[in-house]
Amino acid sequence: MAGAGEIPWSRIKKAGIVGVPPRAVIGALNAHEIDIYDLDEPLIRADLETATPFLPTVYCAILRTAVVNALSCPLDAIFIDVGPGKCDAARYTAQILMQQLTIPVIITENTDRERLGNPISESGLPLLEKIQRITAGVRVAALPAEAPPPVPATASFWGVPPRDFSILELFPATTHVHGWTRCMENKTPADHALELVINTAVPTVFFAQSFCAKTALARHLAKHHPHGLYLDVDAHTTGSAKAKIQAFLELAGAMA
Amino acid sequence: MKLGDFGTSYTKLFDLTGVAPEPTIVPTKDLPAGLQVDWATGHNGKRYAGHYVNELIALARGGEELIGRPDFLLLDCGSRDIKFIRYAGGRVKDMGWNAECGASMGFTIELLERYYNLDRQRMQVPTQTFSVTCGVLGMSDIFDAVIAGVEVSEAVARFVRGIALNAHRFAGEPDLVYLSGGLCDHPVFVQSFPCEVVPLGRFVLLSGLMASARRQEPQTS
Repeated sequence: MAGAGEIPWSRIKKAGIVGVPPRAVIGALNAHEIDIYDLDEPLIRADLETATPFLPTVYCAILRTAVVNALSCPLDAIFIDVGPGKCDAARYTAQILMQQLTIPVIITENTDRERLGNPISESGLPLLEKIQRITAGVRVAALPAEAPPPVPATASFWGVPPRDFSILELFPATTHVHGWTRCMENKTPADHALELVINTAVPTVFFAQSFCAKTALARHLAKHHPHGLYLDVDAHTTGSAKAKIQAFLELAGAMA
Repeated sequence: MKLGDFGTSYTKLFDLTGVAPEPTIVPTKDLPAGLQVDWATGHNGKRYAGHYVNELIALARGGEELIGRPDFLLLDCGSRDIKFIRYAGGRVKDMGWNAECGASMGFTIELLERYYNLDRQRMQVPTQTFSVTCGVLGMSDIFDAVIAGVEVSEAVARFVRGIALNAHRFAGEPDLVYLSGGLCDHPVFVQSFPCEVVPLGRFVLLSGLMASARRQEPQTS
């Protein structure tokens, strides 16, 4: 960790996180009963352009959202993960936030290797609820008390949690989760081998946020998957992007 | 049963209850108030029917009906956007819908031809082309060329050729394109593709809609 010297735990009541900080950090935040805010998600009603003085307009919408949140939310510290479990764009964003904010901005590099499993990713919960549970799980070091039962997959969603969750409503509940979101649930965001795991037996939407380095991997995997669709979406999902997902799943027979 | 493909500029209607049913084309701006069909597709379709099928599904089903081959690429060039669907081994392999960077190309061609009073059937396929990314940006090239002394019909033809090349790239540069949409009857557009082109006309989505109705395909948004 870097950026704040000794972490003043006793002075932190509200902390923001970006990406998936190491489990030990989340555990310490939990132990100190600090409220955690996931800055990757839209937390306030503010235009993304609020971030434009600090980040280019053509930049990852997740990080632009994190900056908007960081500028607006009354926080005592921010823990921002960079490196193999996140991205260099987060590293540069952390530098910018350090200069703009008066609160400690603590850089972490999550290289946790202990695999904790993927019960949510393989459950029959609606995809939206799956991803909501997985992203909410980032704020808790302990595993959920109960694991939902698994179901056979008829489709797969590969990728990062989208900024705009509305696309998730288009998938059947029998959609399994792969890619970085699966790594999130497993609490190993830097596990690139797990990120590469795909299910070639079911139609798969390979999703990436526009302007994210993972667009290259998503497109590559979709190209070589026997039944894959590559999709990148920026801050909001366009009607044509939604229509592509619907048509792909419908024509592939994944909705039956 | 009444079907409607409610496009941005033109609506294609097909009333199957008639004696000898034939599809008709109506400018969308002239659609009668209160019009209702049983099954609809297209940008404006949701307002006019109880059953709505999204355009990519209608395009795919239309391709299955009209082409009848396991491998094909079907490209629809409309007024507002371009979209394609590619089948391999009898199932969907890839698709694309470009409503942003390929925007308004068909609409722009029609505007230009009307403004300059050009007959598309008499236009010559040009040897040069403009690099066209969208209808609006492409117009600047036309105006610059006209200022530089290029004939108006030649300048517009270069624009049309640029759109065809852009659409071919967008579809993944296939060797054979089945073409759908209003630009099927534009000789310069069809002949500008650097590959074999089979024009299927303007009613491909209606054929797909009919197939969806037969299957009672679920409504999509």
